Amino acid sequence: MDKMMFLLSEGMKNLWRHKLTAFTAIFSAFLTLAVAGSLIIVTQNTNKLIEYLRDKYKIEVFFKEGVKEERVVELVKEFKKINGVRSTTMITKADAEKIFESQFGENILDLVGYNPLPASCVVNVVRKRETKLNVNPIIKRIKSYPEVDEISYQGRLIIRIESYYQKFVKGMSIILILVLVISVFIISNTVRLTIYAKKELIQALQLIGATRLFVKAPFIIEGVFHGLIGALLASGLLIGGLEFSSNLIYSMAKIKVEYEPLILVGILLSISVVISYLGSSRAISRFLK
Amino acid sequence: MIRLDNVSYSYAKGGGVSNVNLNIADDEYAFLIGPTGSGKTTLLRLVYMDLMPQVGKVVVDKFNSDKIKPRKIPYLRRKIGMVFQDYHLLNDRNLFENTALPLHVVGCDQEEIVDRVIESLEEVGLDGKEEHFPEELSGGEQQRACVARALVKDPDIILADEPTGNLDPVTSFELIKLLEEINREGTTILMASHNYNLIKGRGHRIIEIQNGSVRQS
Repeated sequence: MDKMMFLLSEGMKNLWRHKLTAFTAIFSAFLTLAVAGSLIIVTQNTNKLIEYLRDKYKIEVFFKEGVKEERVVELVKEFKKINGVRSTTMITKADAEKIFESQFGENILDLVGYNPLPASCVVNVVRKRETKLNVNPIIKRIKSYPEVDEISYQGRLIIRIESYYQKFVKGMSIILILVLVISVFIISNTVRLTIYAKKELIQALQLIGATRLFVKAPFIIEGVFHGLIGALLASGLLIGGLEFSSNLIYSMAKIKVEYEPLILVGILLSISVVISYLGSSRAISRFLK
Repeated sequence: MIRLDNVSYSYAKGGGVSNVNLNIADDEYAFLIGPTGSGKTTLLRLVYMDLMPQVGKVVVDKFNSDKIKPRKIPYLRRKIGMVFQDYHLLNDRNLFENTALPLHVVGCDQEEIVDRVIESLEEVGLDGKEEHFPEELSGGEQQRACVARALVKDPDIILADEPTGNLDPVTSFELIKLLEEINREGTTILMASHNYNLIKGRGHRIIEIQNGSVRQS
């Protein structure tokens, strides 16, 4: 316990003793985490957008003339079981007649003397899916039923939206990983400056029988403190910025930026601990080699 | 306590020690004498396993250079107190903090640290100077602080590498007497020096080293 307290206090004292390097490390952690946090918020809100768009995807299935209503009910139930289908809505010939009347203001029976509108079904696809949503297997499966006459859907549009979404998610992930790797190197180099300034202490500790872990611990603790402070500052900037600008964004683009402040802070703190641990551990391990 | 069997170590740019055979018994006080560059520091570094022999083996207590794993070397060093010519004190810490450092390493509690640091500083005559920083102490005081830091962990062995190198003759003589007192309490001491006049006639074994080869007295 006393050893732990000593290592913690050494880490804290290092922060104060090396103000310039501490400032550099905190600032680089702050910048990195602000960028990482922004990417996370953008990705989260893009998810919301894709969910909204997927909600609009509609597959309309028209049944052949003469298919009995009981069979249509069975088929609609079977369509709902297909992987990737969220819900189905059955439209009987009578429903179609009413829809026609509500849309065109005239009764189809009065116009042509009989009801030529087929029974149909609206198939809605799932909204929440991280990977690309492919509607082709759903279409193929529905087409395999002999009772199905025609299928209407926005095929190319869906494919294009899904493809752009996948590219966007991949791009964001690559940028995020790059930013984090760069930050590990920046933190590592900054901690290395501190290590050179504390060369005498390290040598003294090694001579008096300190283990590698004991020598490394204060530098790692110091690095993690840098990261945590950087993460808190980045969280403050992002949350403050979003609170300030969300009304403005909504009034301009009718987009409500959604995020959970606590989750955002939690994610940034966790990332900061990982990157600063890796950065400082890398620096001190290379020095002790 | 300390045994070197046919030990050789040479640096890429020359120098080192060759074929050294040496035994230092428990509680012995031995001087290692030789001119600058003769291999005294190399020999001491081999004893605290800062260097590992290229040929032969070094045995210190139960630690054998042939078998020791790198992660066990700190445990050997906890049994050895080291005193250097250039003190190796940390300028950003006061005398108390410098002396307490080895005790933090072994995980002593705060109460024990205070007791042992004060006792150790009293033993070297630096009591009352706990709050002083190294630069506020004279050369002799700094070297005694270095001895206090070596003593505080109650080592089995003290290795002193030219501890009088930066001291005037009177202070040097006092330091040797201090080490003698410590030796009387049961600590083995191996002290390297190039100053024969300082160590002659004190009744201790003198080990002569020249060009990396040892010739015992």
